[in-house]
Amino acid sequence: MSEQKKEYNKPLPEFRPETKPFWEAAREHRLVIPRSRETGEFFFYPRALSPGGDMSDDIEWVESEGRGKVWTFSIHHMGPSKAYKGEPPYVVALIEMEEGVKMMSNVVDVDPKDVSIGMDVQVCFDDVTDEVTLPKFKPAG
Amino acid sequence: MSENLPGIQETRELLKKKKIVIAGVGETEQGKIPDKSSFHFLSEASKLAIEDAGIKKDDVDGLVTAFSLVEHTFMHCTTFADYFGMNPRFFSSVAVGGATAVWMVAEAAMAIASGQSEVVLCVRGDNTLSGISSSGMLALIREMCHAEFEFPYGLTTPGGYALAAQRYLHDWGARREHLAAVAVTMRKHAADKENAMNKDPLSIEDVMGSRVIAEPLTKYDCSIISDGGAAFIVTTEDKAKELGITNNLAYLWGMGQGYSHQYLTTLENLDQIYNAVERSGQKAFNTAGIEPRDVDIAFLYDCFTITVLLELEGLGFVPKGEGGAFALEGRMEIGKDLPVNTHGGLLSQAHLGAMHHVVEATLQLRGDAGARQVEDPEVAVVHGNGGIVSAHSTVVLGNQPIN
Repeated sequence: MSEQKKEYNKPLPEFRPETKPFWEAAREHRLVIPRSRETGEFFFYPRALSPGGDMSDDIEWVESEGRGKVWTFSIHHMGPSKAYKGEPPYVVALIEMEEGVKMMSNVVDVDPKDVSIGMDVQVCFDDVTDEVTLPKFKPAG
Repeated sequence: MSENLPGIQETRELLKKKKIVIAGVGETEQGKIPDKSSFHFLSEASKLAIEDAGIKKDDVDGLVTAFSLVEHTFMHCTTFADYFGMNPRFFSSVAVGGATAVWMVAEAAMAIASGQSEVVLCVRGDNTLSGISSSGMLALIREMCHAEFEFPYGLTTPGGYALAAQRYLHDWGARREHLAAVAVTMRKHAADKENAMNKDPLSIEDVMGSRVIAEPLTKYDCSIISDGGAAFIVTTEDKAKELGITNNLAYLWGMGQGYSHQYLTTLENLDQIYNAVERSGQKAFNTAGIEPRDVDIAFLYDCFTITVLLELEGLGFVPKGEGGAFALEGRMEIGKDLPVNTHGGLLSQAHLGAMHHVVEATLQLRGDAGARQVEDPEVAVVHGNGGIVSAHSTVVLGNQPIN
């Protein structure tokens, strides 16, 4: 990389053993969602055992097309800390994925005023540090 | 309401037999009070409740506390027992966020019903406003939302409730002013509460025109942060008589909990929240043997305006989607259909979880609410919610023993 990364002061995820595959995939700009091999059911956020009645630890990571719809959103006019100075307004949203699970994320590359419930969105990847890439969403092209 | 929840009849018989009561209450001053610590407020509130009951400190043999956002303790209840100088036979720290205070009543009742204790002091106090650092506030949302899959996206506490509010407005075609109306009623009620922090009149336009925090919520949709303490004494009617307590008593008629989710990520739809509120309410109502229409006054957790609408509807006071109209028509005001939070709630009085909701319910049932007194209330409901509308607790209180 030729460009020096800006210092990133906002909170970063601390990986757990059971969530590491998600973040490793994100670094490669792939979105993966865990699924119980026993029941074939997707779940999110990642856990070591399936949260279903099967309680299975036989979990597979399924590559997602990254398509979903905005289920709800809030334009934040204040961030949670000083690290967000200059950021607002930004959009925090719950995205309902085609797989049926929901993910919290930011809707980016759009004027916050144009975000609406039901809007089709597509995953994109924000390499916030060398180690961490946050999956975010933009309006589906 | 379904009639066949497990344990309802047994609990009902137990409450009939034991006659669990709230026999004393206390509230300190509320506001920005930088010269008092968290444990100072706990002590002062405890003393006030003990004095209100007219008993001695040594008569108290049980202790239920919660947690502090400022003083981080491993064992909050025994830390306070040491500080206050007591030797309880029963002690417990309840920590289910905003569902805590309501569940403290149940925790004390269960301890008494099972013979662990006879007179339980339930107390919360904190110097949240003066003592919490900005990193402390940050830690608060970090603990409520998912540290890995939500927190990195800049979610704030109001933002979490805003996500629920936005979906509520969408699902029911409700309007911003429906939320704002809740804040207006709370402010009206706070005017007559001696220790309320915010008493200046507030209009719908004031709420909607105030600083936008997280759309659709503005500053006045959000509860205040305060320093202060509150406490109540739980015992039985028999023990209260034995101790010579002369206060009118508030009788416990029923209690329940309901769980929806911890993280918004796992919330399927608004019905999941309604179901948790309903389950909590149903257990309490069925044990009490009442219907929502039998309730004279309600104390609903109002950390944000949206929670009051979800609880009004989930508890069955109004049909789903109609809470906003109910609020806008002023029907939650004293003297109207269902007075809600006659003390001004978290939105205008002070924020100490639902402690003040429990205290005010007791004062109203006793007939000791002064200028705020609702005419002869017989049945009160108190509902708390913790997390982001995720964990719920309900109690039904009456001014007579359960029958």
